[in-house]
Amino acid sequence: MEWWVYLSGSLTLLLALFLTGAPLFVGFLLVNIGTVLLVIGPRGFILVGNSIFDSANIGSLSAIPLFILMGEILTRSGSVENLFRAMDGLIGRVKGRQYVLTVLISVIFGALSGAAMAVAAMLGRSLYPTMVARGYDRNLSIGAILSGASLAPIIPPSVLIVVIATLADVSVGRLLIAGVMPGLIAAVLILGYIALRMWQRPDLSPPNVAETAGGWRATLASVALLLPFSIIIFCVMGLILLGVATPSEAAATGVLGAIVVAVIYRQFSWRMLQESISGAMQITAMIMIIVICSNLFGQLLGFTGATRGLVAWGSALSDQPYLLLAMLLVIVFVLCMFIDQIALMLILVPIYKPLVDVAGFDPIWFWLLVLLNLAVGGITPPFGYTMFAFKAAAPEVTIGQVYRAAWPFVGVFIVLMVLIVIFPDIATWLPRVSK
Amino acid sequence: MSLFGHFGRAHDALTRIGFLGAQLCLVAIVMAYAFETVSRYFFGAPTSWSNEVVAYALCIGTFLALPEVTRQGGHVAITILTDYQPPLWRNRTGRVLALIAAVTCFVVTWICLDNSLNQLARQEMLVRVNPIPKVWISIWLVYGFASSGIYFLRHATAGDADVNGAPQY
Repeated sequence: MEWWVYLSGSLTLLLALFLTGAPLFVGFLLVNIGTVLLVIGPRGFILVGNSIFDSANIGSLSAIPLFILMGEILTRSGSVENLFRAMDGLIGRVKGRQYVLTVLISVIFGALSGAAMAVAAMLGRSLYPTMVARGYDRNLSIGAILSGASLAPIIPPSVLIVVIATLADVSVGRLLIAGVMPGLIAAVLILGYIALRMWQRPDLSPPNVAETAGGWRATLASVALLLPFSIIIFCVMGLILLGVATPSEAAATGVLGAIVVAVIYRQFSWRMLQESISGAMQITAMIMIIVICSNLFGQLLGFTGATRGLVAWGSALSDQPYLLLAMLLVIVFVLCMFIDQIALMLILVPIYKPLVDVAGFDPIWFWLLVLLNLAVGGITPPFGYTMFAFKAAAPEVTIGQVYRAAWPFVGVFIVLMVLIVIFPDIATWLPRVSK
Repeated sequence: MSLFGHFGRAHDALTRIGFLGAQLCLVAIVMAYAFETVSRYFFGAPTSWSNEVVAYALCIGTFLALPEVTRQGGHVAITILTDYQPPLWRNRTGRVLALIAAVTCFVVTWICLDNSLNQLARQEMLVRVNPIPKVWISIWLVYGFASSGIYFLRHATAGDADVNGAPQY
């Protein structure tokens, strides 16, 4: 049987299984076992067993539970609320102050936690009602929150980056660091878009009265309130940038840093810690089982000849690398509208991996573009967990309203991707200069 | 209480104990890496065991936690289409999917058990700095898939279930 029949057949079956609502790991197992039976027969079951065992023992994935635990401790202890208060006190009298506050909190929260859904839910519960009550435009407020939340998987720590880097065989540390600059530029672009909208329609933001904190004492107090978070940012990004620790080790010190921060804010309790560990372990198991069960999909591409076929197809397009790049990214963008980001990543990484080598793309640059695509997938209608998390936190908002609010900010991220394609240094400079 | 009721309670109790073990694995991962970082950079004495302990703890912890995730119906699934089904159809779809998931888990349990028994017979060791028998780690995969399969089966046969196998409380 031709390789493309296997590839298209297994992809179609996989997507159909996903859309039935079956757990993702079950979908992967069914397709993988079916392909093994078809291609190798029952003696191929040893391949299934070995793949599951080997995937479950990949040490670099240990950063996943640690990043999740760090976020859980900060959220459950209530330490994150101090971030809100501190930023609220630091931002002065500017037009559209709450929009600015939303984006800046998202940037810092993105450097503390890698989960877009957590940020969207938290901002949806805390900032959104305030914004509406103060007369800020609903659509622009929702858009600012959704786009701000999408920075979380881009700015390290990021669970998505750990999984992509592990599957794509690139350095986890370098890909994590590569996310810093694009994350910051994304924040600037989001603020730029909001400023443009307010310039076009000044009524999108209320007059900035009675919103600002008062005096330099309040500013100093806000800085002091913000300082403990620098411990965590140093533990994670600092240690990786300085070459002192591997990403997983940095994540472990980040967990200890989060505990220290909770103690500093007098919000530490053993019960909170136990609940955080329990929550982190559940989320870890949910993610790990999908990664473990999907890994064989990539190996089977080799067995069926699909990898060889893809390389030949990619070689034919290698003299037009930008066309190839556009095709690969458009596929991610379109599929992200309907498929869960993790599932899509696990399907596409093994397919794209040989093509990256053939086309001669810088792996860090390419996978970062894919990451941005996946991150924006969370806010691309109709299917996106970030949107659903916000909707759950703000039930009075209709899903149609969320969709309308999200589209312009999807455009902002597309602009960012185009910038990274034109200026690759945005993604590759920091990993190059760090140790 | 029926025999199935007793079995269900014992199964739930085992899952709770397993999940506590999974949490301990996560603590072990944090402690091992924190110790490694301090030991290497402050005392210039890297350990030979931290990476291995972390890899084993992640694997064991994942499969000890898997049944608890299944019990709670917490698996990631795309429910964009099934959410629009009428409740009766949604429930039926959920039962069928839970049954399919149960069968899949049992097949993988059998595959993993066969693998573990082969590793035991051949006395296969994990090639690491401090080698240990492979079966010490692989047997947890058997537990995780078998127990999850039982939960999917319980969801499929008792009570209302959603498409992810989660009981509706």
